[in-house]
Amino acid sequence: MLQTRPDLGAPTPYTFPKPRRLTVGGGTVVAIDVPGQAFAAVRLVHHAGGATEPHESMGVAALTNEALEDGVQGNSSLPPALERHGAEWVSRVTWDSFVTGVDAPVNRLRAATALLAEAVRTPALRDEDVLRRRDQILERFWLDASVPSTLATRAVGGQLFTGRYATPLSGAPEALKKVTPQAVRDFHASSIAAAAGTLVVVGDLTGVDLEELGSAVFGDAAAAPAPDRTPPEPAPGELPRVVVLDRPGSVQSALLMAHRAPSRPEVDLPRADGISDVLGGMFTSRLNLELRERLGYTYGAGCRFDLRRDSGVFLISTQVDTQTTAHSLTASLAETERLQREGVTEGELSAVRESNTVGLPVSYSTARSLAGALVEMVVHDLPEDHIDRLRAGFEALTADDLAEAARRYLRPEEMVTVIAGDAASLEGPLSEAGAGPVTVRDPETLWS
Amino acid sequence: MTTNGAARRVDQFTLENGLRLVTAPASTPQVAAVNLWYGVGSRFEVPGRTGFAHLFEHLMFQGSGNVAKGEHFDAVERLGGDINASTSTDRTNYYETVPEHALDLVLWLEADRMATLREGMTQEVLDNQRDVVKNERRQRYDNQPYGTALERILRLAYPEGHPYHHATIGSMADLDDADLDYVLDFHKRHYGPDNAVLTIVSNLDPQDVRERVERHFGAIPARPEAAEAPDAALAGLIGGPVAEHAVETVPAPGVFLGYRVAPYGERDFDVMHLASAVLGQGQGSRLYRRLVLERGLAADDGGAAADLLPFRYTPSLMLVNMIAREGVSGDELEAAMIEEIGTLAEGVSDEELERARAVLERDHMQSLSHPSGLADAIGSCTQLFGDPELAFTWPQRWSTVTAEDVVDLAKRLLVPENRLSVRFDPEPVGEPAA
Repeated sequence: MLQTRPDLGAPTPYTFPKPRRLTVGGGTVVAIDVPGQAFAAVRLVHHAGGATEPHESMGVAALTNEALEDGVQGNSSLPPALERHGAEWVSRVTWDSFVTGVDAPVNRLRAATALLAEAVRTPALRDEDVLRRRDQILERFWLDASVPSTLATRAVGGQLFTGRYATPLSGAPEALKKVTPQAVRDFHASSIAAAAGTLVVVGDLTGVDLEELGSAVFGDAAAAPAPDRTPPEPAPGELPRVVVLDRPGSVQSALLMAHRAPSRPEVDLPRADGISDVLGGMFTSRLNLELRERLGYTYGAGCRFDLRRDSGVFLISTQVDTQTTAHSLTASLAETERLQREGVTEGELSAVRESNTVGLPVSYSTARSLAGALVEMVVHDLPEDHIDRLRAGFEALTADDLAEAARRYLRPEEMVTVIAGDAASLEGPLSEAGAGPVTVRDPETLWS
Repeated sequence: MTTNGAARRVDQFTLENGLRLVTAPASTPQVAAVNLWYGVGSRFEVPGRTGFAHLFEHLMFQGSGNVAKGEHFDAVERLGGDINASTSTDRTNYYETVPEHALDLVLWLEADRMATLREGMTQEVLDNQRDVVKNERRQRYDNQPYGTALERILRLAYPEGHPYHHATIGSMADLDDADLDYVLDFHKRHYGPDNAVLTIVSNLDPQDVRERVERHFGAIPARPEAAEAPDAALAGLIGGPVAEHAVETVPAPGVFLGYRVAPYGERDFDVMHLASAVLGQGQGSRLYRRLVLERGLAADDGGAAADLLPFRYTPSLMLVNMIAREGVSGDELEAAMIEEIGTLAEGVSDEELERARAVLERDHMQSLSHPSGLADAIGSCTQLFGDPELAFTWPQRWSTVTAEDVVDLAKRLLVPENRLSVRFDPEPVGEPAA
């Protein structure tokens, strides 16, 4: 005899662990102790992301970040040194941050962090290493762009912005060729080596001396606040519009529909994320149910906000059969407009509220995800009870709040649709889709 | 023997209907990770029916006796949980990570589709998911540069008619032919409690978990008879060198080399696992240092050129893959890779072996460091080897492998007679794709 569907009791209330915070020299250590978590995550956060780099050397942050892996001896010496400690280099540049770090067994934390410190403070940055990395990035740019979804994603910035955001984060081929080893050394000296940054440590911290780790990483570097930024101007061109990146013979189209959104500090996060969840943040969201589960056009469809300190982007993305591309576009627009017109159902409201509150123990069940939350707090100057405040914000959401968010944050009339696919098959149907004029571009001309 | 305190806290229990339950503690609070491994994968597929185990995995989310289409995702997502499934040659697994208080709901959902999937299945559902899977195939294989490499590799590595000759995704034609009767029969043959391992990682009392599992799964009958596994026995080398050459829309020449090695779980597999790490895992590996750094022949993959494709019931494959730099021909890169692979037979230093061990151990420990990874590793070790504690002790298998072991096996296996090669080259300029 099978059981009947169980009624769930009330979840145990979740509180994000309170981090330990200490000032060491010019820097700050922020740490969470997770007893029993033998694999620690260490992250060093600097504010020197892609958005702040000089326009004459776009891509220098990403190139510098990669070149740090050449270590103090050059020739990719850092990863093998870490490998011997069972540790792994973890680094990333975003528009707003320059993050370096290691994942390491807690009993090797000191040694692994010492390698992190010397790699960040005193890397060799030899000409030959920087040039090798730069050439590899240049070639990889086109290798990666041969994947249709990557190609479309990279092209979105140029359709929405002028200035730095118009070029991909890692730079673009022609511009990157002009970034010299000296530019890398200059960027590193002023934005990384001289700035203490914030050190995030998560794991079983029994016997770990956080002050010692902080001293090792910060040395005598000074505190450096996030630089001021001027919000970017929009790209010219009629809205809405469609841009096809021609990929002859493609059996599928990678479809990205994007418009500008407010910046991270301007956005009411529970409302914006909530409405994004309803439209395309979950498997059971409207776009996926329509395009995948009802129409069978795709393996998946979704949407999200990409929010930065000074601006934002809203993106719908999917990959569909070539012949269903135009209908996928109009169906996505229709779902967006319906959401604006009719608001959300009670079931959708409760899904948004519950998934962003009772699910927190799942979201923060790894050292990496806890460290990720701390990094985000550092990058965006958020209070240490940020996650709990966010939870309270989601708990308080109403259907009216989400309906209002749909009207305020979603702008189908300003949508630029970028499609990587077979232009010969797509141009006709797309021009009748009502999503604006259609232009066709050869991908190779986008960044020349 | 164990290397981790948690291993002593693994509890095992087998229900009367054959369902094997394993519980283990989680390292963070208020969370439950559930992983249900069924002992069915694409190796059970016969010619003309390829892609079926995976298509079936999709159908498991389309409703059962008491659960509506899509309700698995809805129920778990609204709890902020993670949910998905995957199919390989040797198994199909379904997994959820949820807040602890929702464990019963997940057990109920899994029990319902194990017992009553056939009641929820319709032609309409089958047609829809067939289209979804065909688009998955386009997205992952047909519309990706080098996307068909795995299919080509398997065709060369295993003879026609062998259960590992085809890839799990299957062919478009076979997907088109899938019919409802076959779906229903597939569930009957493979989806019984006696063919599954249920792993639950949480901080709940193991006795409490066991009672819940008995309550939800205890009444589901075992299959009347176990499905007969196809014969996948295969002896000897590939009979190479064998090669397949594709000229298509790719950004640069790509070289994929494969060698038959021992089945997953055998000591020779572990030896070759270390060999693959010496060769191509991490930036301290030979292929990275020689072909990326020193000679500049291959694109920078961060040190991920070699690994094993583990098969439990037939010889596994060691795969080595690199993409050529601008101005480097496929022939040149392929020759350089073969030359580098050949150096393993000439000797391996203790330092190299230590680094390789550290890399494999790190990856293993990382996979155990979160509840769902731990549940998956335990499910794997229980389903494939009957021993959940292997998940914790696996790194010990590498500790006794010596440099001589690696060299000896490299001499026997990394030879032209055991080599397959799949090569992609870009179309000559001026000849667009058909």
